[in-house]
Amino acid sequence: MKGVKKLNINVKRTLSILEITVGFILICFALYLDVSGSEHSMRGTILTAGALLVILGVYCIPTRKHRAIVNVLFLFPLVFAFAVTVLVPFALGIFYSFTNWTGIRFTEFVGLDNYIRMFRSRDYVYSFVITFIFTVFNMFLVNLAAFSLALLCTSNVRGKNFYRAAFFLPNLIGGIVLGYVWQFIFNKVFTSIFAGSASMLTDPNLALLAILMVSTWQYAGYIMMIYVTGLQSVPKDILEASGVDGANRWITLFKIKMPMMANTFTVCIFLTLVNSFKQFDLNLAITNGAPSRILGLKPVSSTEFMALNIYKTAIAKNEYALGQTKAVVFFVILAIVSLTQVYISKKKEVEM
Amino acid sequence: MKKRFLAVALACTMMAATMTGCGSKADSTGSSTEGNTASESEASGDAIRIVNGKIEIDKQLKAFAESYEEKTGQEVVIESLGGGVDINGTLKGYLAADNMPDMFVFGGAGDYKTWADYMTDLSEEEWASQTEFAFKAEDGKTVGFPYAVEGYGITYNAAILEQAGIDPAGLTNYDAYKAAFEKIDGMKEELGIDAVCSVAAESGQMYWSTANHIFGYYLSAGLERDDTTYIDMLKEGKVDEKRLGEFADFTKLLFDYADPTVLISGTYDDQLALWAQGKTAFVTQGNWIDPSLPTYNVEFACGIAPLAFLQEDTAGVLADCPSWWAVYNEGKNIDACKAFLNDLATSEEGQNCLVKECGMISPYTTCTVEPETPLAVALKSYVDAGNTYAWQWTKMPEGIAQNATGSVFELYARGELDRDEFVAMLSAAIADYTAQ
Repeated sequence: MKGVKKLNINVKRTLSILEITVGFILICFALYLDVSGSEHSMRGTILTAGALLVILGVYCIPTRKHRAIVNVLFLFPLVFAFAVTVLVPFALGIFYSFTNWTGIRFTEFVGLDNYIRMFRSRDYVYSFVITFIFTVFNMFLVNLAAFSLALLCTSNVRGKNFYRAAFFLPNLIGGIVLGYVWQFIFNKVFTSIFAGSASMLTDPNLALLAILMVSTWQYAGYIMMIYVTGLQSVPKDILEASGVDGANRWITLFKIKMPMMANTFTVCIFLTLVNSFKQFDLNLAITNGAPSRILGLKPVSSTEFMALNIYKTAIAKNEYALGQTKAVVFFVILAIVSLTQVYISKKKEVEM
Repeated sequence: MKKRFLAVALACTMMAATMTGCGSKADSTGSSTEGNTASESEASGDAIRIVNGKIEIDKQLKAFAESYEEKTGQEVVIESLGGGVDINGTLKGYLAADNMPDMFVFGGAGDYKTWADYMTDLSEEEWASQTEFAFKAEDGKTVGFPYAVEGYGITYNAAILEQAGIDPAGLTNYDAYKAAFEKIDGMKEELGIDAVCSVAAESGQMYWSTANHIFGYYLSAGLERDDTTYIDMLKEGKVDEKRLGEFADFTKLLFDYADPTVLISGTYDDQLALWAQGKTAFVTQGNWIDPSLPTYNVEFACGIAPLAFLQEDTAGVLADCPSWWAVYNEGKNIDACKAFLNDLATSEEGQNCLVKECGMISPYTTCTVEPETPLAVALKSYVDAGNTYAWQWTKMPEGIAQNATGSVFELYARGELDRDEFVAMLSAAIADYTAQ
C-alpha cells in the first residue's frame, strides 16, 4: 500500500514537472513569435495555454508548501495587474530619465544630464517654488474650510443633510469643466460685478489666489465628509463626562474632540497635501500658466505648477526624457514630504 | 476534493482573464479609438487607415472615402483626432501598440524630426510636381502630402473700412496702418465700434496667435518662400534688432488700438466674437475663421490684409500648408495609400471635397474648383498672384511660443514693457530657449 502511494507521488511529481516544462516552452515560443514580429493569430492562445499549464503544474506538485502556493496563485492576478500598470511603467520611467528618449525610442544614455539640465532651468525651479507656496496655502485653506463646514454639518442646525450634499457637490464635477466655468466667472462675471476692474487672471498674485479659491471650493466638501465621520466617531460618553465637568463648547472642541480625532487630521492633511502638490486640471483649465511675471528681467509663467510644467515639457517641447526626469524627481519630493507629514502626525495621535 | 478543484478552476480562470489581454492584439487592429476621437475605425486587413488631425473636415473626408470605395473598391477608414487631443502623443501610443495607421498627420519641422524614420518617399507621385506646398525633407524628397493652404494676416471688416474711407489695398506698410488706425479710432462713435482691432495676447491660451502667428511676420514678411534668413538666425538664438524693433513698433500699434479686455484676458472665442459682431474693424486671425462666420450671422464683406510691419511695402500674406499627411513606411498598403492621395489631389471629386465641402484652398496648381467662402476667396487671390510668404515659424524650436515668447507678448500687451524692453526681453528669451 505504501509503495503504491509513493509511486503515485512519483508519477504526480513527474507529471507536474512535465506540465511546467511544456508550459514554459509554450510561453517562450509565444513570446518569440511576438518579438520576431510574426502575425500568427494563435500566439495569444499559445501564451495563455502555456501559462495555464505552468499554473496547473505548480499547483499539482506534491510538496509541504502547498498552501503557500495556493496563496500565491490567488494573489497572482492582482499582483500581475499592479505590476503591469504601476511597477513596470515606474521602472521604465526611471530608466528613460537616463536616456534621450523621444516617446518613440532612445538612441543613447545621457547619464545624469537630464537631471542637471532640469535643475538649471529657471522655469522648473520657479514652478517648484510656486507649487510649494500653493500647497501650503491650499492645505491650510481647505482644511480650515472643511473643518468649519464639518462642525456646521454636525451641529444642530436645520437641514444639515442638505448642506452636506450641497458642500460635497462641487467635488463631483470634473476639474477641467470646473476650471473653464470658473475662468468664465473670473473673466466675465467678476469684471462686470466690479465694473471696470481687470480680470483677476491677468495679475500674477491674484491669479494664484483665483486658483486657490476654486481649489478650496472644490475640495473642501470632500474633506468635510471625512471630518464629519471623524467628529461623529468621538465617543459620546467622553463628551457627556466633559459636560458634567463643566467644559464649555470651545474647551470640548479643542481639548476633547480635536485630540480624539487626530487620526482624521492625519488623513485629511495627507490628502490635501498630496492633492495640492499634484494639482493639474484646475491649473490647466483656469490659467494654463498665465499670466507672466517678470523675474530678474526674464519672463516666467507665474502660475505654472509642477505637474503642468512636466506636461508642457513632455508635450509642448516634445522632450519626453526631460519630462520623465522631472516626473521622477516630482515623485521623490512628494514621497519625502508626505511621508514626513504622516510620520509627524502619527506621533500626535491618541491611542484609543 | 471538490473544493480543491473549484479553487484550481477559479485560479485558472483568473489567470486566463489576465493573460488574454496580452494576446488578442492581432484581432483588434484599429479598434483602440479614444473617447474623443470622432470615428469608428473597425478596419479589415486591406482597408487603409488615415489619422486626420483636422476634426472640422472629418465628415467631408468620410463622405469622400465612401465614394472612393464605391469607385475603386478600396476601403478607406478616416480616424479624426482633434479638439485638444495631443495628436503626437496618440500616435506614439499607436506606434508602441503596433497599431500605426497607414497615413498620419504631422505638423511641420519639429514633428518631422520625430517621425522622419517612418515616412515614405512620395517624390514620384503625380501630385508632387503640381504643388509648391508639399513638405520636403532636408534631402529634397517629398514626404508630406498637403491637403490645404491656410493663410493669415489681419482680417478686416470691409464695410467699416469703406465707411471710414480706407482702401484696404493700401495697407502695406507701417505708416499706412498707423494712419488708418488713427482715423478709425477717431470715428469710433460714427462707425459704431468699440475698438479698432481685436487682438488676444493672454499667454496661457493665446500664445499661438501672438508668438506664432503675429511673430511669424517678423520671420517671413518680404522674403522669398525659400528664404530662411531670419528663421536660421533664430535657431542660433539671434535676432535682427532693427527688424525686430520695427516689429515691436507695429505690435505696439496693434496692442494700443485693441480692445483692452480681450487683449489681456480674452480667449479665441472672445476675440472672434468681438470682430464678428461688428465691434471692431480688424481681427488678427486667418481664413480658418470662415466656418465660424455663419454662427455669428456675419453678413458684412471681409478680406485679409498683410500684417505689414515694415516701413517699406510688403504686400503679401503668410500662407502655407498647416499640416501634412505622411504615409507610414512599414504599412502594408503603401501603394493603395499613394493611389488614394493621387485621387484626392487630382480628381475632380477630390478637389471638390477639399475646396467646396471642406471650405479650404487647394494647394494644387491643377485644381480648377474655386472656393466660395469669403476669406478663402480673399486668400486665393494672394496665392494665385504668388503674393505669399512661407510659414517659417513652424520651424522654430518646439514649444518656444508656449514656454517662452508667448509670455513676453503678454507682458508687452499689459504695458509692463516698453518697446526697447520688449525687444531686449524677446531676444533674451529666444537666446535662452535655443541654448537649452
